[in-house]
Amino acid sequence: MSNALELRGISKSFPGVRANDNVDLEVRRGDIHAIVGENGAGKTTLMSILYGLTAPDSGEIVVDGRTVRFNSALDAIAAGLGMVHQAFKLFPTLTVAENVVFRNEPRTGIFLDRAEAAKRVRALGSEYGLMVDPGARIEDLPVGVLQRVEILKALYRDAQVLILDEPTAVLTPQERDNLFVTLRRLKDRGRTVIFITHKLGEVMAVSDRVTVLRGGRAVAHLDTASTSPTEVSRLMTGRNVDLDSRPPPSLLGEAVLSVTDLTVRDDDGLVRVDAVSLEVRSGEILGVAAVAGNGQHELIEAICGLRPADRGSIVVGGREVAAADMAVTRESGLAYIPEDRHRVGTAAGGEVWANLVMGFQRRKRFRRGRFMRRAEVEEHARRIIADYDVRVAGPAVTAATLSGGNLQKLVVGREMSHAAPLLVAEEPTRGVDVGAIEFLHRQLVEYRSQGGGILLLSAELWELLALSSRVVVMYEGRIVAELDPAETDEAELGFFMTGGSR
Amino acid sequence: MMSQSSFDRLSVALSIVAALLIGAAVIALSGTNPLLAYGEMVEGALTGSGLRNTTARMIPIVGMGLALSIPFRAGVINLGGEGQMVLGGLAGTLCAIYLPGPPALVMAASIVAGAVAGAFWAFLAAAGQIWLKLPILISSLLLAYPARAITSYLVRFPFADPTVTSSSTVPVPDANRIPKLPLFGGVSASLVLLAFFLVAIAIFNQRTVAGYETRMTGLNSRFSRYGGVGVDRQVVWVMLASGAIAGVIGTHLVVGETYRFLDGDLVASGFAWTGLLVTLLASHRPLPLLAAGAFFSALQIGGLAMQRNVNVPWQIALVVQAVVIVVLAGRFVLSRRQRAQPEEIPMAEGELTVTGEV
Repeated sequence: MSNALELRGISKSFPGVRANDNVDLEVRRGDIHAIVGENGAGKTTLMSILYGLTAPDSGEIVVDGRTVRFNSALDAIAAGLGMVHQAFKLFPTLTVAENVVFRNEPRTGIFLDRAEAAKRVRALGSEYGLMVDPGARIEDLPVGVLQRVEILKALYRDAQVLILDEPTAVLTPQERDNLFVTLRRLKDRGRTVIFITHKLGEVMAVSDRVTVLRGGRAVAHLDTASTSPTEVSRLMTGRNVDLDSRPPPSLLGEAVLSVTDLTVRDDDGLVRVDAVSLEVRSGEILGVAAVAGNGQHELIEAICGLRPADRGSIVVGGREVAAADMAVTRESGLAYIPEDRHRVGTAAGGEVWANLVMGFQRRKRFRRGRFMRRAEVEEHARRIIADYDVRVAGPAVTAATLSGGNLQKLVVGREMSHAAPLLVAEEPTRGVDVGAIEFLHRQLVEYRSQGGGILLLSAELWELLALSSRVVVMYEGRIVAELDPAETDEAELGFFMTGGSR
Repeated sequence: MMSQSSFDRLSVALSIVAALLIGAAVIALSGTNPLLAYGEMVEGALTGSGLRNTTARMIPIVGMGLALSIPFRAGVINLGGEGQMVLGGLAGTLCAIYLPGPPALVMAASIVAGAVAGAFWAFLAAAGQIWLKLPILISSLLLAYPARAITSYLVRFPFADPTVTSSSTVPVPDANRIPKLPLFGGVSASLVLLAFFLVAIAIFNQRTVAGYETRMTGLNSRFSRYGGVGVDRQVVWVMLASGAIAGVIGTHLVVGETYRFLDGDLVASGFAWTGLLVTLLASHRPLPLLAAGAFFSALQIGGLAMQRNVNVPWQIALVVQAVVIVVLAGRFVLSRRQRAQPEEIPMAEGELTVTGEV
């Protein structure tokens, strides 16, 4: 089989960092090729070089046997490459069809031929199993669908090689499975897929070959069929990583959270949490498993005080907080790692210290009267940066410059350092690499062993099973099952999550 | 951080140079030597009585800029500075005219009355957002119209001076007027108040917990709420502070400058809108705001001198001002692209639409 794409000896340095060090890569035509590595291993730099967004210091790019030189993404597109970025680049107020045909529109005279555009998008969609309504507006669509639009956009430009940058980071498990079906179909039609990820399960599930990056170097090129998750994770991290062993049980104390008969409505007045009762005790991790949109997020928001409860009671640290706001719930002993670290968990325009002191700013330790004790605040920030291995030059750096994984560590570190009796953790390891996952898991278990109670939500069922003391399943706003992780598996969880009952 | 601010300074300097060059071209087209005209402008703005006038004009421009910077920094778009200023101005004036007592006390009372009236009007806008879900951007702007109408009615009828043909109050008694400082030949003592506001706001922004919380709300209000900040309460406070300062500036404009509340006078000045520009250009930081306000004041006063002495219309100075604004606004968009941080300058595109009345 010939190579669709080759990179030879690519090197790229930024001030103080050697992001890519003599990287070779051969991608065979019609393969799904995974590129894995920890955060900061150089994956993103390599892809932006490949896509013409960054010029390499040395090395060459070969597409279809011809050496090419990209001055911009337009050159890369012309050479048959298509990129699906982590953050989608779509016009929110335009329709799907308008976005897909952008820059190459079918016209009648000087006008866009909408019917023709819609027809082409529909035809392309049915060929690849990417069903999207061409007339839908981008701003009304969920993330999983937006990704399909991005893929369609690349296919419309006749991309032979599709590059997907951590495509599953924003997807629910169902959306992820659909994506994999699409990727296999692309492969069947002779297209080549480069798939950047740090999730080993996905590498094993969908790829033909794997290239492992570590510290800017390509440390291994493997055939997926003849390797194992253990080998890949060892190559990625340079050590043995153990994610599956279950922590020993710890002593249970009194309840840090008691929810009784709680009903919560969403912004449209629909009941999203329906008479739910649950309890988290000190020293345990209660896992909540649910397919996205089954009320788990509203449950969390109500507990934290970000959404009013319709009925029922929420007691945090002995205090009734069903009608309270987040200032009160925090005071009562709650810390919260939110699912959306960009829109809720951080302020991108603020400095790292400003992001790390949020929630603490009224503590005696950090103020003198009405004035902030900046020295203390920065010391606090430095401690979290060190303890949670946030890769950043210092507390004064703007948070917007942090990578996704580092931002996640910042949020997790900040909330854990509250040492609150109750920690609500929503997708605590989303977007971080396998080494960091292991680290964060250890932290969560340690938190529990020190007497904290954790309410854990995760779309990664293996994570719930590996960490939780008990798992409850939510379906359509109700708790439909409570399971012992030692005696259940992902299949059984999935059965209850999709409405199955015994 | 350093490179960012030096980039800022360089781009500000470049935009001012570019604006001056474009202004020179316009002046040359109107048939005057641009160097001569600019010479007159600088001389007219910075020497003799010009320096006094520039400083005097700076008080309302920087004052309104400071007033609006407080809510803007917290992401609260107060477009009602004009109404708060006008109502505050009338309340302060009426106190200064009709309140009996020792002049020092009357003056203090009149400033407090101006602050209270301005704050009350701003509070209505905040209440509109919190309880009626009417965005402050709209409620504050709309409330400016009744404010104008109310003051207009009051000075035309109940409080009109029957001895003059214009619609105005009687003059503030000599003793109750805000005195002039012996500075540049007589600048209003309100300058001291302005300095106080400036320092207080700078300290609030930089050093206090509440200043930190308002900045975070401005950057991302969901993040603030998540961190336990009472965002609604904060909206009320920043609006109260904003309206109070606007009201004090309105009071100063009459009790410290014109001594009669003349119907439409405070609105025609456009100070509220120039103040809005100034805070936008300074990204709501007090010291750059002072610099921008001083620059615009000098430009306007110098423009008047240019008209007087070399017969170049005053409007040319406004053209230069407008070009500076446009180029600086362009700088925001440019730096925004370079940093790819849309959160940082929420008003970059909206601002040109509100600068119509310079």
